[in-house]
Amino acid sequence: MDLDANRSLIVTALARIPGGDRAALQTVYRLTSAKLFGVALRILGERSEAEDVLQEVYVTVWRKAADFDTGRASPMTWLIAIARNRAIDRLRATRQSRHMDRMDIASDVADSAPLADKALESAQDHARLHGCLDGLEPRERAALRGAFFDGNTYEDLAARMKVPLGTMKSWIRRAMIKLKSCLEQ
Amino acid sequence: MNDTPDHSGVPDDDLLAAEFVLGVLAGTERAAAQRLFERDRNFAALVAQWEQRLAPWAGEIAEVAPPPAIWDRIAAALPAERPRSAGWWHSLAFWRGLSLATGALAAACIGALIYLGNAPQQAPLVAAIEGGGHRAFVATIDRKHGTIAVLPASYTADATRDPELWLIPADGKPRPLGMLRADRAVSITIPPELVAQTVGNATLAVSLEPPGGSPTGQPTGPVIATGKLTSL
Repeated sequence: MDLDANRSLIVTALARIPGGDRAALQTVYRLTSAKLFGVALRILGERSEAEDVLQEVYVTVWRKAADFDTGRASPMTWLIAIARNRAIDRLRATRQSRHMDRMDIASDVADSAPLADKALESAQDHARLHGCLDGLEPRERAALRGAFFDGNTYEDLAARMKVPLGTMKSWIRRAMIKLKSCLEQ
Repeated sequence: MNDTPDHSGVPDDDLLAAEFVLGVLAGTERAAAQRLFERDRNFAALVAQWEQRLAPWAGEIAEVAPPPAIWDRIAAALPAERPRSAGWWHSLAFWRGLSLATGALAAACIGALIYLGNAPQQAPLVAAIEGGGHRAFVATIDRKHGTIAVLPASYTADATRDPELWLIPADGKPRPLGMLRADRAVSITIPPELVAQTVGNATLAVSLEPPGGSPTGQPTGPVIATGKLTSL
């Protein structure tokens, strides 16, 4: 779907939710649930848990739609953040650590994965983030990916990459500082 | 948090926001960041910036259609629909919807309603009373009649405490104005001795107090939202 049309449909529907408009929530659901389900499934790895989280996400959207600030975030960024947060909370609540197996793949691959959803962000933003990620050391990039996509904690990442916890914290913090500075250029 | 003292000049809050968004925190650290996100609008803004920075990454995650039954579960989990007989003026939904518009637009709408209704000599004063990234209440002052109307926007009722409205004039000392409601607009008569101080740039604040209001005449609970009065 056309990016701007889709975005404005979501924004318009979000604005109707605080008035108690259930059809508006259903519109938001129709336009965004496949993406948010994908996000939850990626982090949790199990359909039934991702389904529970998806339900929590839209009930949260129903309650918090008035908080959405069009001046500050794109609607998809806001919704995906809610979905990631809920999925990570669920992950933390249900198990100690998992998704360890995916780190091997991530650690060797430069960050040039194809854009699965072109409608989400402009290709330019995507290229910029990836340009900055490619400027990080491979181990830093692997750690960031392992956290963002698979919900790994500092402890998970330290264990998986066989470094002390303090080292992992330093890597991630240094990488995030570098990333911010690169994106601001 | 103490093992990397040199953050190259990046504030700790910004790093915490980065860690929170990335998702590497667990246990009490994550819970603390979540609380800060909900209560501190500056921290919430840092979080939003990190979400924006990492947003293109989410584009890589493939869409997966959820089973159709999920929507029915969501619809069943929503609160029961409110009766719609109360009239639009008293309808919380109406005011919440209105407050969702930009602050200026909402203020202009309310101001216009008051202006048309009362034809005041002076321009009305308005304030968006905000805290923790939320617009909690919207206030409009009718200077001709010496009243202040306060509408709940995204304020959620506290289980044990009630919201109390304060005027903080130029001297910085809070003066109690009255109790607010989470479920409807209230109109408060401004005490005569405070009318002269209810002017542009004075601050309105809302604190959480025991039922009936602060026993001391000064805020005793947390100030959850503030806003400056401005002329339309």
